Amino acid sequence: MSAVIFFIAAIGALAGAIGVVTLRNPFYSVLSLVGHLISLSALFLLLRAEFLAAAQVIVYAGAVTVLYVFVVSYVGDGTVPLGPGGLRLRNVSMLFVGMLFVELAIAILGSGLKAIDGKGAPYVLGFGSPESIGEALLTKFLLPFELASLLLLVAAVGAVMLARRRAGGRTLEDIAYDDTRYITPRTLFSGTMAEAVGALHAPPEDPRETARQTAPYVPPSKREPVPTPVADDDAKED
Amino acid sequence: MSSVLTFATVGFAEAWWIQIIKAVIIFLVGFTLVPLALMLDRKLMGRMQMRYGPNRVGPFGALQPMADIGKLLFKQQFRPRTSVGFLFAVAPAISMVCAAGAFAVIPFGNTVDIFGKEVGLYGIDVSIGILFVFAFSALSVYGLMLGGWASGSKYSFLGAMRSAAQLISYEVSMGLSLVGVVITAGTLSLTGIVEAQAGMWFIVPQLVGFLIFLLAAFAETNRPPFDLTEADAELVGGYSTEYGGGRFAAYYAAEYFHLVIASAIAVTMFFGGWMLPFGIDPPQWVDPIVVIVKTVLVVCFFIWARTTFPRPRYDQLMSLGWKILLPLATANALVTAILVVVTH
Repeated sequence: MSAVIFFIAAIGALAGAIGVVTLRNPFYSVLSLVGHLISLSALFLLLRAEFLAAAQVIVYAGAVTVLYVFVVSYVGDGTVPLGPGGLRLRNVSMLFVGMLFVELAIAILGSGLKAIDGKGAPYVLGFGSPESIGEALLTKFLLPFELASLLLLVAAVGAVMLARRRAGGRTLEDIAYDDTRYITPRTLFSGTMAEAVGALHAPPEDPRETARQTAPYVPPSKREPVPTPVADDDAKED
Repeated sequence: MSSVLTFATVGFAEAWWIQIIKAVIIFLVGFTLVPLALMLDRKLMGRMQMRYGPNRVGPFGALQPMADIGKLLFKQQFRPRTSVGFLFAVAPAISMVCAAGAFAVIPFGNTVDIFGKEVGLYGIDVSIGILFVFAFSALSVYGLMLGGWASGSKYSFLGAMRSAAQLISYEVSMGLSLVGVVITAGTLSLTGIVEAQAGMWFIVPQLVGFLIFLLAAFAETNRPPFDLTEADAELVGGYSTEYGGGRFAAYYAAEYFHLVIASAIAVTMFFGGWMLPFGIDPPQWVDPIVVIVKTVLVVCFFIWARTTFPRPRYDQLMSLGWKILLPLATANALVTAILVVVTH
């Protein structure tokens, strides 16, 4: 029974990983990454690492990859095929893949092959449970754990700094902080509700825009004929 | 016995045929509670709005959900020309499976003797307990997102993005709000948490956590007033705009399933599961009934809130989630941890 589940999960994991790199549509690529992660968590369950399996699904499949799907479904709709990429980038990636391959080969040849004929590590009751993982993280691996959390904190702060509003209009800093309201003050003229109901009018950005709005209405039949645009190369799409 | 332990250690290992019977029974209980919640939603909301609600099919209109589901299942399946056929068909199934899967860990009672065998009145009692539920609720986001994307329609797509953003945001506060309970109980296992409430239900020491959980649950289950993913009166219909017939029924049922599960989790984590207050100790066969009655009462609360509160704006919802609930939930977990360390 466990062998059957192992092979299903292993095939799923391999197929997902291959799909990530071979599929041309980025959306399907991310989806096969999700399949890969779920198969991996099934493998973790087989190793009786329930906590790792749940964390794998909640953190990676449920949060990180959802954000990938978010971005990819907004920008990559699959109609634009992935470009060939720069030659330098390709060389660098080749180098990294080669290094990774050599490293894995050393690891497998050095230790892994010995274990093929032997028996697997014995299962100790309670191994991989939330309690034992928490104990390991807070006693034996306290320093790496804290360093990793510090790294995550830095990354979060960096993301906030990169994503804050900068260009155009009023920014959040211009609006006095009022601790009685918890609503984010929106940048003005960015499609707020106040504009929608007509309580606020955006200043025209373009002077020609103002001219068109203030000019008296001329019915189309009495307008000056607009010269037909000369066909250029871009017009081929039509 | 070793074949039972193939997957993960369960708190109480049982023979495979007992597991199969239990799976069927739990599935049946789940799919009985879903139409019940649907019916209750319509009838109770009708009464609260001074009308009768559905009263044509069956006695007091009790068979209305059956009629609805029957009608939806027999409708012709159609899809937009721009949709991605495979994903379009699979997405509602993902929603349904994730909703039903989370139901497996809800405990309806402790282990009981049935024909000389000890049987736990729950699907499985995994050591990760509540994380199992969160894993499934994390995956259910894909049901909505794939459905919205595969519809090939801008309305569906934007609706799906809205709902995904909402679900991800509130998952964080929801998870953190339950950390206090887990710390107090000292275990993640749901049966363990219920047993830890023998003296006092966790709603008393973890009131803040409960309120955060409740607010987050409204957003997680797409219930009004936080039903910004559908917002019937404002949007075209969110991620399920292009769906009809059986597939729409799957989405609809999954939503009510999430409601039932959120209520059952609230009962398990905060209202003492199968326990009764004031030291009343009924015979053990009453336990599942106690859990189901409590769950239905919490469902009634969700419906009550639906008829009472207006819907906030989307940015208000997001601000509430990230700026109020998340810091509050973190503080709650921290204070609970400190108190537990000090008192022990």
